[in-house]
Amino acid sequence: MIAGRVACIALGAMTVLAALGPLLAPANPLLRVDVPYLEPSLQHWLGTDEIGRDLLSRVLYGMTRAWFPSLVIIFFSAAIGTALGALGAAAGGWVDLVLDRLSELFTVIPSTFVALATVAAIGSGTWHAVLAISLVWWPWYARITRSEVRNVAARPFVSAARLAGVRPPRLLTRYQLPAAFPSLLVAATLDMANVILMLSFFSFLGLGAPAPAPELGAMAARSMVSLTTHWWIPLAPAFAIFVLAFATNLAGDGLRTAFE
Amino acid sequence: MRPIVEITALNVSLHRAGRAVAVLQDIDLTVRAGEILALLGESGSGKSTLALTLLGLLPDASRPLISGSIRIAGAEVVNAGPAELRALRAGIGVVFQDPVGSLNPTMNIGRQLGEAITDGRSPEYWLDRVGLSRPRERLRCLPHQLSGGQCQRVMIAMAMARRPVLIIADEPTTALDVFVQARILQLLRQIACEEGVAMLFVTHDLGVAGVLADRLALLHAGRLVEVGEVKDVLRAPAHPYTLSLLAARFGLGVDRQRQLPVSEFWSNNGSGGARPLVSSQPWPAIRGADQREKRERAAPWLLVMTEVCKRFVLPRRSLFAAPVTVKALERVSLRVADGEAVAIVGGSGSGKSTLLRLAAGLDQPEEGCVLYSAPDRPQMVFQDAIGSFSPWLSIGEQIAEPLRLLALSGSERRRRVAQTLARVGLEAALCDARVNRLSGGQCQRAALARAIIVPPRLLLCDEAVSAVDLHVAAALLNLIGVLRRELGMALIFVTHDLAAARFVAERIIVMEAGHIVECGPSEALIEHPTHAATRRLLDSMPDRLAL
Repeated sequence: MIAGRVACIALGAMTVLAALGPLLAPANPLLRVDVPYLEPSLQHWLGTDEIGRDLLSRVLYGMTRAWFPSLVIIFFSAAIGTALGALGAAAGGWVDLVLDRLSELFTVIPSTFVALATVAAIGSGTWHAVLAISLVWWPWYARITRSEVRNVAARPFVSAARLAGVRPPRLLTRYQLPAAFPSLLVAATLDMANVILMLSFFSFLGLGAPAPAPELGAMAARSMVSLTTHWWIPLAPAFAIFVLAFATNLAGDGLRTAFE
Repeated sequence: MRPIVEITALNVSLHRAGRAVAVLQDIDLTVRAGEILALLGESGSGKSTLALTLLGLLPDASRPLISGSIRIAGAEVVNAGPAELRALRAGIGVVFQDPVGSLNPTMNIGRQLGEAITDGRSPEYWLDRVGLSRPRERLRCLPHQLSGGQCQRVMIAMAMARRPVLIIADEPTTALDVFVQARILQLLRQIACEEGVAMLFVTHDLGVAGVLADRLALLHAGRLVEVGEVKDVLRAPAHPYTLSLLAARFGLGVDRQRQLPVSEFWSNNGSGGARPLVSSQPWPAIRGADQREKRERAAPWLLVMTEVCKRFVLPRRSLFAAPVTVKALERVSLRVADGEAVAIVGGSGSGKSTLLRLAAGLDQPEEGCVLYSAPDRPQMVFQDAIGSFSPWLSIGEQIAEPLRLLALSGSERRRRVAQTLARVGLEAALCDARVNRLSGGQCQRAALARAIIVPPRLLLCDEAVSAVDLHVAAALLNLIGVLRRELGMALIFVTHDLAAARFVAERIIVMEAGHIVECGPSEALIEHPTHAATRRLLDSMPDRLAL
């Protein structure tokens, strides 16, 4: 129970921090406020970047821009994957075969490539990137759901429920699908870090939000040249990514313990 | 004989959910060289905790508090350091319940056995010693290539190869087939005699303990209630708990016309010193017995299975081997009349459970047909009682599933669930509980409740009482008998235990290797078995074993 509470607090704190980011930020993240390469001081807690923007403000905005799109991607891909995986496992036969091959197809084609092609077709922008990543991100969830539902189908309680006259839709949603939730939840929380990095990668290639926008991955990548001279400039956004990923992992572990 | 294990004034407390719980209290026990001491107790009595305490293997997570003294071959176990414990354990051989899981699946038998050998003998010698046929070939086998009984023999060989002074066997035959159990018990008996080691045999099975052991120690709610020579304890039990346990024992001679005598003693956690209420109730009248004849004229058989066949394809043994097909059922025909109680008996792999699943409609036969002439579906109680409930839904919700097909209001549904729970002897409060709060016996009662909440014409029970303690098994057999009569259900009762089959059923069917080999009225079949398979089943029953 304690683990569950810690998990909820971690996820809640991240969400609140991400939501309040723009309000907490002391300066406009897109405008120069001082000379470049200032060291951290009371005035600028994390100093200023290569062109004199307030680094703390950029990191806070970046967290907002990383967190909510990632949540949306995870939510949509988990929803699509769970639905397709459960459908295949429950229907069996050719439906299962087609869906399973489809998810294999998406797994073997580099998902980045498909996502890039999608964005190239529908145009760049944060929400286009979200849509593109969601479209290629679901197969993992489909496979987890499918295998868990199929595993549980051999357990006596499923036979018992069938004999008790439980109809197939209810059998799937009430008896079989709950078996997949713990694995799905853990996979989803572990996936947050990947999705955050993927989004950053898109922005770096100019397929997410355009260049001056404060995206954590792009900030870290672009200021990498300053690593030996002003190490905090690339490390601050990298550390923010780490905090986001770590909090979600912690939450995943906590939720799993709470489930058991 | 010199004592090997001396336990004096032992108290063990373990922490559960943050609270210290006294698991063992005031244990005084001695095991001598060359004797088998059976430590008998029901689940939760603390018998496995005692075995783990002897090995110094209590989990640290439960923060054990141990007082008193345990001396094994003169060395103190309580408060011993890690190095001393390691030295101590070198003198103890251990055989666990799950033989396949206790062996390393990635290492062949020869190497695993080689690691245990301390006296320079060859692994082959030890495999031969425990009666494994073709020992030289077996050395290269991996555990999954051996059967459960063969793995248990390897475990015994590994325990023996350390040249121990003490062997601790924790339910070593519980997971095994009845035939295999008989042979493993013979092996243990022989080894204890010839090697002169002390053996602590932990079991819940009074029959097995009675036939194997020299002395019996009966553990109840963490206390030793009786210790003595097996013959003395069985003939003249001193403690009321022993008395109630002996009374609940069902052998081949038990009176079928009355219920088994189940005392109230065991349920009140052993605190009461009162004499147990040992009484046997008469059976209730069979409902619809007067209309049975009329129904039988209309449709003589409730269930007719004609020449059914069922095959399973086993996974390939190696990459190039042809897949092996096992004929689980080969042209089996079975008829069950309305209101009749039939038992299907056989060893594991005889096809009895497969037959039951076909009767339930859970699987379809490859050939032949299954005709069930009532408008409802047969209901079934599974062997794995806990596994037959979903861990995510409340017990009440799952019991109420059959009611969803009848258009009932919510309050009416709740009333029916409460009524049925009371009928199977469960508290109404368990309605909202999840399965993890229930004991094995309670789960089996709940499974019965789900099966009869809309009474079917045919009830199927698959080894329904095999996995529970003696008292619970007796109470469940009574409950099944009562429900069947009160509700006028036909019953197919699958079991490996001829005593249970004889008690429950009017007719017994014996199966072997996918065939029905013998069939007849219960009493007559057990009095005069004609087929060798029936005689083998009878001979492997613990109370008939000669060790």
